[in-house]
Amino acid sequence: MSKIDKNNGFYIPQLEKRRAKAKRFKYIAMSALIVSLAFLMFFLYDMFRQGIPAFKQTYVKIQVEITEENLENPYGFLDRDMISIVSRAWLRDLPNQAAANPEWLGTTQEFWALAGAESDQYMKGGENRLKDRVKDRIDELKESGDIRFQTNLIFFFTGDSKIPENAGFYSAIIGSILTMLVTMSLAVPIGIMTAIYLEEFAPDNKLTQFIEVNINNLAAIPSILFGLLGLAIFINFFGVPRSSALVGGMTLALMSLPIIIVSSKAALKSVPNTIRQAGFGLGLTRWQIVRDHVLPPAMPGMLTGSIIALAQAMGETAPLIIVGMIAFVPDAATNILSAATVMPAQIYTWSGMPEKAYIEKTAAGILVLLSVLITLNAVAIYLRKKYTKTW
Amino acid sequence: MSTQSLYLIFFGGLLPLMYFGYILGRNKAITIRTKGIKMHSQPDQYGWFSALYTGLPVMTVGVVGVFSYLFGFDGIPPFMLIVTALSLGALSLFLISKKMNEHTRARNLVEEFIKGILMMAAFISILTTFGILISIITEAIHFFQRESFWGFIFGTTWDPDTAFLAGAGRGGEDVAEAKFGAIPIFAGTFYITAIAMLVAVPIGLLSAIYLSEYATTKTRDRVKPALEVLAGIPTVVYGFFAAITVAPLFVDLFEAFGIQASYRSALGAGVVMGIMIIPIIASLSDDVIKSVPNNIRNGSLALGMNKAETIKFVVLPSAMPGIIAAVLLGISRALGETMIVVMAAGLRPNLTWNPLEDMTTVTVKIVESLVGDQEFNSSLTLSAFALGLVLFVVTLVINIISITIIRKFHKKYKVSNL
Amino acid sequence: MKFWKKAVVSTIVAAAVVTAAQARDQIRIVGSSTVYPFASYVAEEFGVTTGNKTPVIESTGSGGGMKIFCSGNGLDTPDFTNASRPMKPSEFADCQKNGVKNITGMVVGYDGISIAQSNENKEMKLTKEQIFLALAEEVPSKDGKSLIKNPYKKWSDIDPSLPNREIRMIGAPTTSGTRDAFDEMVMEKASKSFPVYGGEYKKVRTDGAYIPGGENDNLIVQQLAQDKSAMGYFGYSFLEENHNKISGVSIDGVMPTADTIADGSYPVARSLFVYMKNDHIKDVKGMKEFANLFMSESMIGSKGVLKTIGLIPLPEKMRKKARESVKNLTPLTKEMVDKHTVLPVK
Repeated sequence: MSKIDKNNGFYIPQLEKRRAKAKRFKYIAMSALIVSLAFLMFFLYDMFRQGIPAFKQTYVKIQVEITEENLENPYGFLDRDMISIVSRAWLRDLPNQAAANPEWLGTTQEFWALAGAESDQYMKGGENRLKDRVKDRIDELKESGDIRFQTNLIFFFTGDSKIPENAGFYSAIIGSILTMLVTMSLAVPIGIMTAIYLEEFAPDNKLTQFIEVNINNLAAIPSILFGLLGLAIFINFFGVPRSSALVGGMTLALMSLPIIIVSSKAALKSVPNTIRQAGFGLGLTRWQIVRDHVLPPAMPGMLTGSIIALAQAMGETAPLIIVGMIAFVPDAATNILSAATVMPAQIYTWSGMPEKAYIEKTAAGILVLLSVLITLNAVAIYLRKKYTKTW
Repeated sequence: MSTQSLYLIFFGGLLPLMYFGYILGRNKAITIRTKGIKMHSQPDQYGWFSALYTGLPVMTVGVVGVFSYLFGFDGIPPFMLIVTALSLGALSLFLISKKMNEHTRARNLVEEFIKGILMMAAFISILTTFGILISIITEAIHFFQRESFWGFIFGTTWDPDTAFLAGAGRGGEDVAEAKFGAIPIFAGTFYITAIAMLVAVPIGLLSAIYLSEYATTKTRDRVKPALEVLAGIPTVVYGFFAAITVAPLFVDLFEAFGIQASYRSALGAGVVMGIMIIPIIASLSDDVIKSVPNNIRNGSLALGMNKAETIKFVVLPSAMPGIIAAVLLGISRALGETMIVVMAAGLRPNLTWNPLEDMTTVTVKIVESLVGDQEFNSSLTLSAFALGLVLFVVTLVINIISITIIRKFHKKYKVSNL
Repeated sequence: MKFWKKAVVSTIVAAAVVTAAQARDQIRIVGSSTVYPFASYVAEEFGVTTGNKTPVIESTGSGGGMKIFCSGNGLDTPDFTNASRPMKPSEFADCQKNGVKNITGMVVGYDGISIAQSNENKEMKLTKEQIFLALAEEVPSKDGKSLIKNPYKKWSDIDPSLPNREIRMIGAPTTSGTRDAFDEMVMEKASKSFPVYGGEYKKVRTDGAYIPGGENDNLIVQQLAQDKSAMGYFGYSFLEENHNKISGVSIDGVMPTADTIADGSYPVARSLFVYMKNDHIKDVKGMKEFANLFMSESMIGSKGVLKTIGLIPLPEKMRKKARESVKNLTPLTKEMVDKHTVLPVK
């Protein structure tokens, strides 16, 4: 804005005040936006700060004489300091390892063994309950290079565990994938077809309006009530096994259905009526018009709505508590009928654990979940941007 | 015979049969047409007609069969059922290929079929809608048969302890009567929602104004997705954020002024909930403001109003119904939010105006009474449904209001994005 | 092609539903959230060392677990249920009615409920009666003849020797088993020593001195660490795990430690149980092995791993007896249920 010429014949003293006010308004609006973005940044920073350490894990070099006796009692051959440094989960698995490599018997093998959560916390500078003696031992090992960090593959390739250093996100990831497959294959087709029927085929009368209000309203009711419906219908009535991906997926499908219907209806509505009228003018049937001329432009909008609904379902916890998906599931589910847990449920479970090592696991789990959700949202936004048409 | 192989046989029979039906129907149509006879529909449509109506009886028998097994009728062995279904399909294929001629209205019949399928999908969706409504209402009625309805609506004491003890099998006849007065719970709900809206509405709305009116397209394209990320964060995460980061912050802050605040305060929960709702309001309002026709703005600018005045006096009033709808949506999200309140506002029903005290909300009480150790048909568990019903009614009213507003808006401006 | 997709999908779903109720190779466990961490640990050990599938454990609460466990004898019901209290006669009757007739009970150890506060406070010694006076809705008046609304705001109001600190206790919500046990073992017992109450303890005060926390005990610990003036109660394992932040409060002169809980001198402790459905043993792989592993010395023994995560071991003699009883699959009888035990009554 140029400077106001006071000698201008049209000059009004108020003008300057008005301009200042306008400027203030702009800055207030801008700062509001900055505040909301700052929240996001602070939030992500907090999660990263807590979660990043979980992606590396302490390993310690030990030598084990593989004898029958040692394999019989794998907790016996280490001295009392080392036994509190090395993870119990690793020792427990040693006999299995030896069984897989029979040639080891009678030899001395060198391993990089997984270290226990307390030693891991000590290495990362966190709070721990190690005795000073053990701490000194770890310092010694550090000096000689016999203890080190490695990338934490366990987190991505094993399931939940009661031994914190052995706990991973794998079964939750697989469970989420299976659950989402069920939700997607139920909610998306049924939701889109319902939207098509209501928007394109159903007569516009009081009944349709009533249904519309009802579906809109469903999108807003507390999600835990869907869990209750899932319990009543799927588990008690149809006998679907508790805590399976199938029952979780179906419950979440109930929840996403209204969201998908509402957004798909909006997408169909945004296709101008002139297109339909042109179709009728050419003698097409309703279905032909819908299939060939309404659905293609509406599809991106429908997909966006579906993806957002699925992302929301993926982060949902409350209804799954009711259908038994907050369970201890160390083995990844192999099919939609076996017991499974999902990512937010695993986060919820870990957040309630007394051991401190689970706090970083919780934050790391949140990071994984967030990155999946952000990716899904990004895809939705990309689709919307790429295909949005202005008529 | 395992279930898997049964399904293999079923689909192994059904799909080729339908494919065969398609080819047969189409070929017959082409043969008739090459004879120079005028036909009602296109050959493809005859193919589809033939395929769909071959599959119809097979699927019907299959679905009926599966459901009859679910309900415990297993008189007919499944293999026989499948054979019956497939032979019915073959029969109808035979009849179709025999009777089909140039007068068959294949296009209309396919249309009817698809309409039927769509109707079925809509029926399922509507069924779940009413399923929820009915299951909530039935259980709520059970609750009100035991406890007084007016005591629930107007009572100011929520004290179900003894109902829990009774449910856990330790209730004596001498223990105090359980009280289910929902006022403190609803007061807490509305209070926390109000705090959330005090945070979310100004920040969300101003952000929307900046995004739609001032920001460059490039900024808008980058910032809007970032805001939507905020909306995608699961509420469990927000809950921890509220309890671990925000609550101690408030306690320290108020301590500096000499005011004592609780670690579980309505304020902490409300503010974090507000943060959660900002993107919903910002994103929706941004869409609405964007959809206000440009000629209205130009008219205002031409009359000598500056940009801020145009926004305040012209753009916002015309976008107002849409903005109100966005705010109402935010309110219903706040009313239904659970995890944040569980973690940051506490579980104690508390009727107070002090935002620094702990209070609780309807959804928290619903979760609490459904996941506890007590029996399912105790009054405490059933109270969840009564609370749910009231919450349902409240959100219904809010929605009806927002739909009415949007409808009016449509008539007035003929612009919409909602 | 929407039609095809829907047809295929809906049929697969239907197929899945039909296959649901068939034999299992995976043990299913429900029940108490207190036993849950211990049972999960054993389950994991079982999965890794025996090559069987790791059992699935759901935390449903003791009462909820009993309800599901007793709902039927079919394979679609759980094989074990965990409980932080013995099975009640009413639950036993329910089980019998639904055909669950052959049950073996396992007593696996003790759990203490500890009151704790932030480490920065001075040590605190309370009696059950003091706790009662601090938390009950109605307390005896000065002359001890009538009941009045609880007037105490600070601990020093109850007894001048107690610190001048506001009474604030974060505890379990009304629906939790921990709360139930706390009410029974502290509040109800203490109320008996006030004659004016007539042995009828009514309820905990609701004016803000008692703060119901969530089911998540970790959050209570974190709040205690931040909120120096508050106290909280929860399972002993959480105190054990967080000694650097919080410390125990002694009750009737006894500090909550593993030893005092095990020898019974700490007054707020309870036994933990697991119940097994014997009829499932022939159809579900590994049930007996799982039960035996749970009862083994390496798990619940005095040097067992469960001790490191907060389970208090039974005395040696009792361990032996319990182990024997599980090995023989001693069926639970009405007599045993009435006596609140799972071991054979002599």
